[in-house]
Amino acid sequence: MVYLDHAATSPLCDEARVAMEPYLTERFGNASEPHAPGRLAREGLERARAQVAELLGCEPRQVVFTSGGTEADNQAVFGLAGRPLGRLVVSAVEHSAVLEPARELERQGFDVAWAGVDSDGVLDVAAFEQAVASGDRLAAVMWANNVTGALQPVAELAAICAERGVPLHVDAVQAAASLPVDFRSGGAETIALSAHKMHGPKGVGALIARDPARLRPLIWGGGQESGLRSGTENVAGVVGFAAALAAVRGKSDRRRELRDRLERALPELTVVSDGADRLPGHSLLLVEGVRAELLVLSLDRAGYAVSAGSACASGDQEPSHVLLAQGMTPDHARSVIRVSIGITTTESEIDGFATELRDAIERLRAGALV
Amino acid sequence: MYTAAVRDLALDASRAGSAGPDAVAGEAGDAGCGDAVRIELAVASGRVVRARHRTFACPHATAAAALACSLAEGRDLLDAARIGAGELESALRPGPHNRECVALAADALHAALARAIETAQLEQSARRVVVAMSGGVDSAVALIKTLDAGLEPVGVTLRLWIDPNAPDTERACCSPQSVRAARSACHAAGVPHVTLDLRERFHEHVVGDYLRGHAAGLTPNPCVRCNGSFRFDALAAVADRVGAERLVTGHYARIVRLDGRPALARGLDPEKDQSYMLARVPEGILARVWFPLGEQRKTETRAQARAAGLEAAGRRESQEVCFVGGGDHREFVERHGGAGAAGKVVDESGTVLASHGGVHRFTPGQRRGLGVGGGEPLFVVRVDGGSGQVVAGPRRALARSTVTVVPGAMSTPVRRVEAKLRYRSRALPATVREIEGGLVLDLDEPAYGVAPGQAAVLYDGDVVVGSGVIAR
Repeated sequence: MVYLDHAATSPLCDEARVAMEPYLTERFGNASEPHAPGRLAREGLERARAQVAELLGCEPRQVVFTSGGTEADNQAVFGLAGRPLGRLVVSAVEHSAVLEPARELERQGFDVAWAGVDSDGVLDVAAFEQAVASGDRLAAVMWANNVTGALQPVAELAAICAERGVPLHVDAVQAAASLPVDFRSGGAETIALSAHKMHGPKGVGALIARDPARLRPLIWGGGQESGLRSGTENVAGVVGFAAALAAVRGKSDRRRELRDRLERALPELTVVSDGADRLPGHSLLLVEGVRAELLVLSLDRAGYAVSAGSACASGDQEPSHVLLAQGMTPDHARSVIRVSIGITTTESEIDGFATELRDAIERLRAGALV
Repeated sequence: MYTAAVRDLALDASRAGSAGPDAVAGEAGDAGCGDAVRIELAVASGRVVRARHRTFACPHATAAAALACSLAEGRDLLDAARIGAGELESALRPGPHNRECVALAADALHAALARAIETAQLEQSARRVVVAMSGGVDSAVALIKTLDAGLEPVGVTLRLWIDPNAPDTERACCSPQSVRAARSACHAAGVPHVTLDLRERFHEHVVGDYLRGHAAGLTPNPCVRCNGSFRFDALAAVADRVGAERLVTGHYARIVRLDGRPALARGLDPEKDQSYMLARVPEGILARVWFPLGEQRKTETRAQARAAGLEAAGRRESQEVCFVGGGDHREFVERHGGAGAAGKVVDESGTVLASHGGVHRFTPGQRRGLGVGGGEPLFVVRVDGGSGQVVAGPRRALARSTVTVVPGAMSTPVRRVEAKLRYRSRALPATVREIEGGLVLDLDEPAYGVAPGQAAVLYDGDVVVGSGVIAR
């Protein structure tokens, strides 16, 4: 099986596995306990925190480990929104981990302004500037889109927010998996990360917050993570996360080369968000006249794992809100496949995939109603 | 997610493509998700010799289309008409989100089968009957009775035009939901089902006539017209194609023999008697009809449905004109270009009392909506579609002792009758005179609110002996 769905999840890299192993066996202690096993766990936890902080350009106290990207996004949106009711600005192309918290706030009575994107899925900066107003509780924008791979001009947007004193939350789950995301220069108030998208373990992520103390916790209990995220720390996971983050650094160019090789091999297909800066290993291909779900099944049978548009939207009837937001027709939005490349992907895998994709399209078009 | 069966069938290229240049095709699409399925059948001597599909749809719909093709191929047309969404579902096990996708394939197959049957000529079978299925409880029980009688029923549902903007299109018989309910009632009993898409013809013949009638200031009865010159003709035509002699419906009416000729008679349940609505069905078709519910009451039908475990047992039924779909018929008429002339409401001496928005809003005997208040209650006495004038007067002005029925005719020559001038009104004793092209009724006591356009149905006892359309 050739795996080309790294934007959905990615296999654990050797670096992460080796780093985790001691914490799954002899270093099993509870990091809150003062005895030797506890101290060993604490050391591992804090070393990982320091490493993550170093790689992301922030201070260790600004790193709050969570159970993953979804929790980090929820914590940021609900934590920044706070009370009483107010207003927030959210991009129309957010992952559901931001979208659904925003919709929930809307149901609770918050006023949500949805910021639109252009046909490449990039935020309209002028419209965003109009939308964000002093006194807004937060703005939320994703660094890189999980469907199209399109990157947002985060620094520019953060500057607009800073002028108005509005905290900006950035979902960097996809971006941090293949780009050298830097918290300080990005200018956001909070960013969310997930380990398993970057060859780390599932079930762990982080919220990086300029000032964690200003956020109201979502989860209450023993007061771990400076009181913001209670629950016995997932030390093995956190250690694996830090190791994975280090391992993927510097491996963008290779993924970009492979992605470009694939797109060059299939000139007859339209690349979605081609006009935008995109994640290096990410390609969303429009295959007109074929339903993507069927193409995914056909490629699966041939030994290739890719995704139809977005993993979270497949299985229900609605085409991706991201693609509709950038003006794609519902028919086209249901005819896209997402190819996402990992650090172990090879040239021959890409070449084999391009050949198989072309065959599968031909087979399916023969039986398609056009 | 997808079961192994869905994955295998969705990718089974051997069922995809065209069934050949002479194949008949049926298509079904879902406006909601944009998916579309086309199934092609090559038919020879009443048998599906090749079945292929083309789809632009999700894996569930594609797999269902491939499965429908593989099940249909090699079967006789009527046997293929036993394939339904239920059978496809049990093989594919779709989740609740995907049941609609599977149903799409069944719809496409049945659309193709209907096309094949329209041009087929199956061998005559003495026990084969066509049962009109509406999706409601009456036709479902009628079907059971044909099985109990040892017959070989073929369920037929006419898909008719319904106002797409109506508030309650789902409940109307002939809606896509009712078609599916009718089909599943047949398939649950192992009975083949045929869906005829008659939306366009129905719109022209029945709805168009209704709109033109209203515009002319008449009070048309589309149900009498539909049964008399559309629905039963369509059923008879499909019966001829499938080799069935007899037609069965779940109406509450009976067929009796008078001097060896068939005649329509009232159903035994006075609450449900539908003979008025059936009065214009031609004698040649009545000769082929069996109404198995004519001898029983509606309460018995419901009990029989429950006893048989029928899904339709508890379904509400619509009493309204089906294509209006539960809305106000005046608004329907206006939405579809049937509005009549606006004009004045005048009294019998011609004095103007008020203005009104269109003659289609009025029927003789109506009290509301005249826009005239105070004094003696006023009723619509007459509607003049040409001038747009609505004449209003006191109740006594409504009295009519003579009613002209054109066109109209007696099927049994009697002089004394009971005349029913609206569906829900009492039949009145009258003496009949024949005139050229019609009849004149001299009523023993006056009728109130006689409406041109409505049907006049004449009874001798329980038997319908004549009918026509009220002219004045």
